[in-house]
This record gives sequence, structure tokens and C-alpha cells, in this order.
Amino acid sequence: MASDSSAESTISRFYTRLGLRDALKSKRHFTDYLFKILLGLAMIIILSPFFLVLFQVASVGFIQVFGTGPGQGINFLFTFPGAGLEGGIRNALVGTTELVLLAGAVGIPLSVFGAVYINEYTHPGTVRSIIEFTSDVLAGIPSIVFGAFGLAFLVHYLNLGMGIIAGSLTLGFMMIPTVLRTTQEALRAVPMSLREASLALGATKWSTTWNVTLRSAFPGVITGVLLAVGRVMGETAPLIFTAGNNLSVPTSITGPGSWVASMTYTIWVYVSDPRQYLQQKAQGTALALMIMVLAIDVIANLISRKVTRRLV
Amino acid sequence: MSEFKYHIEVQNLSTWFGKKHILKDITCYFKDNSVTAVMGPSGCGKSTLLRSLNRLNDLVPNFKRSGTVLFRGEDIYSSGASVYDLRTRIGMVFQRPNPFPMSIRENLTYGPKLHGIKDEDELDKIVETTLKKAALWDEVKDDLDHPAPNLSGGQQQRLCIARALSVNPPVILMDEPVSSLDPISAAKIEELIVELKNDYTIILVTHNVQQAFRVSDLAAFLYLGELVEFDETKRILEAPSDERTEAFITGRIG
Repeated sequence: MASDSSAESTISRFYTRLGLRDALKSKRHFTDYLFKILLGLAMIIILSPFFLVLFQVASVGFIQVFGTGPGQGINFLFTFPGAGLEGGIRNALVGTTELVLLAGAVGIPLSVFGAVYINEYTHPGTVRSIIEFTSDVLAGIPSIVFGAFGLAFLVHYLNLGMGIIAGSLTLGFMMIPTVLRTTQEALRAVPMSLREASLALGATKWSTTWNVTLRSAFPGVITGVLLAVGRVMGETAPLIFTAGNNLSVPTSITGPGSWVASMTYTIWVYVSDPRQYLQQKAQGTALALMIMVLAIDVIANLISRKVTRRLV
Repeated sequence: MSEFKYHIEVQNLSTWFGKKHILKDITCYFKDNSVTAVMGPSGCGKSTLLRSLNRLNDLVPNFKRSGTVLFRGEDIYSSGASVYDLRTRIGMVFQRPNPFPMSIRENLTYGPKLHGIKDEDELDKIVETTLKKAALWDEVKDDLDHPAPNLSGGQQQRLCIARALSVNPPVILMDEPVSSLDPISAAKIEELIVELKNDYTIILVTHNVQQAFRVSDLAAFLYLGELVEFDETKRILEAPSDERTEAFITGRIG
């Protein structure tokens, strides 16, 4: 008798824990429960590819990036590739860093100032809608199209030739729609009354925009910049025709000496190669790239939090 | 410099937002070192009148105006007038407290810094004196570096008053400054307004007759964009000469 009741209570406790006790009360309770389960399943399905990718890459790449053997760890990250592509990926690491820094230096200020102009200095109307529509379309254009544009316009028409300039400008163009639109949304969320308060103190339009509006919108702007940087760091297609490749770092800003390697291009080349050790290096490069994106994300969030703490 | 009798004089001012005629031929003046209440039911143009005085209406895309507003005898809408200089000398407090999302100190040093004051000691002095004038110093003197939006609504509004005072304007416009506050905070701010008139010319927009009675010396009653009455507050409230004013005071319109 005593053992029976304890067994029952274990089962009922289990039921309660799953929420089944409530679910079986009536049809409405059951439907309610069903949707909770459905949404949970959707969440699991959404998250699993992310973890699968991470595990897949890390299972091979981890030893490359964090190992201590010859050609692993520090040696993998910070030596140039040698004969037969043995050695490290310093060329790609430095290349991607340079490309993204240059692309950001061009793309971010242009898009932020563009967004400020559209949002603060023009009135709503046809022109604004056209710009917004165009950026939305641009944001959805496949990256290979940007690559083709970079080749046709920058490399050939402007005669820049392949190399770091053409490559980073192409990436810079790609950043514009994302940063422009997110900055615009962030600016729109700043209450009009803050601008008025600043203007009522005799502030000029520009100092109001810079000190109050943009500063209040900063966290939103950072989000857009992060999205854009994350995206262009992971792009291969725009670089294939514009940046070239390099087993070392660029030594000049024009001509073949300006050709530059990138993490993504390196991954592509190594993965396409039948040699086993290059497959491993490709996974290592991929892991290093993910860690870089993650690190940028964390740092940017810290900066944003620091600025916001002063703000909110 | 041209002669002037009052800090602000309004002559035949009419305004439009698009095709909508808001203010209709307003002529009045605002007496120095006194509180002038601008009363009237919602939508009668009180705020538009106030915002015409520091040209904040210019921000509205389809705002049109005729007539003149004289600040110290000079037309603020003339082509030679600097809107930034004008706003430096006419402070404003808004209907909802709108502190900048910065620290309390930064809220108060923002204005002075814009106008070139860089000396830290001087800035500290401005912070202290303006907070004392706004009766907020004792409550926040230890938290000057805390974010201003964390203050209570009433404190935020007093901070906004302090912020308006920080650039030391002779005139302060107040657009229903207590309408979004609880009664106790509202009473504090009313007290403050009465105190401030010793040093400043205050123009107070309100739809609250009792408030106008408590704090103002002169009152203008606007109805549907027209200036119906303009006289001493006491006289208007005790013996309104227009039946629309009487209807508003007795609560039949509003």
C-alpha cells in the first residue's frame, strides 16, 4: 500500500513536471500545451544547425587552432603558408583584418552619415522612400553580384586592378545597405522631444545631431555595424574577382603586389584541395574566422554597453 | 540697438500648418519679470504661439506664418536673425520631462559647453546654482553622475527647468510643464515658477485655470486661434469681459 502511493506520486510528479497534469484537464488546456511543445520544437530545430556547424568545424579545427603540436596553435595562426601550402594562415588572418578594416573605414561612415542626412535633414517624401527601397533591395542582392560589380566597375572600368583596394571597396559597398537602414531605424527611434530640447538650448542642428540624436541611437548603430561586419567577414564571392590571393601580405597598394588573401578565400581553396592536411587547415581557418567574428561581437557589445551606461 | 519696452512682443501673428489656420492675428506682449499665462482649451493654438516665440515651429515642414515677433525690439523672423542665438536667450521647458539620456551633470553642462564654457570649475558652479534654483540640489547633489532618466518624473521636470536655466536666458517658455506630473510634484514646480519670476520673464502655457490663477500675473485667453482676452489674470478670472472666456473659466468649454 505504502509503496503503491509512493510510486503513484513519482508518476504524478513526473506528469506535473512535464505540464501534462494541466494539459489533460480539458481540450483547451491540451491545445495550449500543444502549442508550447510546438514552439519548443521549432526552437530546437532552429538552434541545432548552429551547434552542428560549430561542432563539425570544431571537431577538426580545434586541434589546428588550439593544439600545441608542430604547425598548430600559434604556429598555425601566425606563420605564412610555405611549400605545398604547409604552414599557417597568417596571410589570410592579416588579409581579412586589413580588408574588413578598410571596408569598414569606407562603408561605415558613409552609411551612417547617409542615414543621418536622410533622416535628419530631409522631410519624408518620394526621395526618402526611393532611397529606402533601394537600400532594402541592395541588402538582398547576392554577394556574387557584388563581386561581379566590383570586377566590372572597380577592377576594369576604374582600372584599379585586383587587390586590396578593389576588394575592400567591394566589401564596403556591401556594408552600406545594412548599416544605412539600421542606423536609420535607430535614429527614428530617438524621440523628437530630445532634439527639441537640444535646439531650445540654442544648439545648432549639427551639434544636436551629433551630441544628442546619434549618441542616443548609438546602440542601434552598433548593431547594424556588427551585422554588416559579420556578413562581409564571411563573404567569399565578392573577393574572388576583386582581391585575388596572396601567400604573404600585400606589399603595395596597386598592381599584383596588392593582392590579398582572406580567410574565406583560403577556406574555399583548401576545402577544394584533395590533400588531407589542407582539409584540416580549412576547418581550422573556419574556426578561427568564427572566433574572430565572435570576438568582434563581444567587444562591440562592451563598447555599446559602456556608451549606453552613460546614456540610460 | 533698437528701443524695446518688453522682451517679447507679438504683432499680428498668424500661422498655418499646411492649409490649417492655427493662430489668427495675435497681438500681445509679455511683461518682464512676471508670469504670463497662455490659457485656452486643447487645440486652440497655445503651444503653437509658444513655439513661434523660439521658432521651434520652423521644424514642422509645412509651417507658414505672417506678422512679426519682436525679441528685444528685433524681428526674430527677419532674414538677418540667428535662430541659434535666439534660442540661447529664450529657454524652454516641455510638456513631458525630456532629460537627455546622459548623467545629471551632463544634462546641465550640455548647454554651457555648446556656448564655449570649458572651465570645469565654472561648469561645476553652473550645475550647482541651476540645481539650487530649480530646488533639486538637495535631492541629487550626491548623484550628479547618475543617469538623468532614472529620476522620478517630477525630479526630471525640475532638471529640465535647471537645464533651461543653465544657459541663463532672460525668457523661459513653459509648455504645460506640470500636466504629466502628480499633484505633489506639480505643486513644487508651481512654487518654483513663482520664485523664478524674480529673475526671469516666464510664459506659461496651461489649460488649467486654477494654475493660471495661482502663478500668473497676466493672462492671455486663446480660443480657436483667436486672442479673446489679454489682461491681468485676476481681472480676467474675476470679471471676464467675453462670454467665451467665462465659459472656459466656469468649465463649460475646455
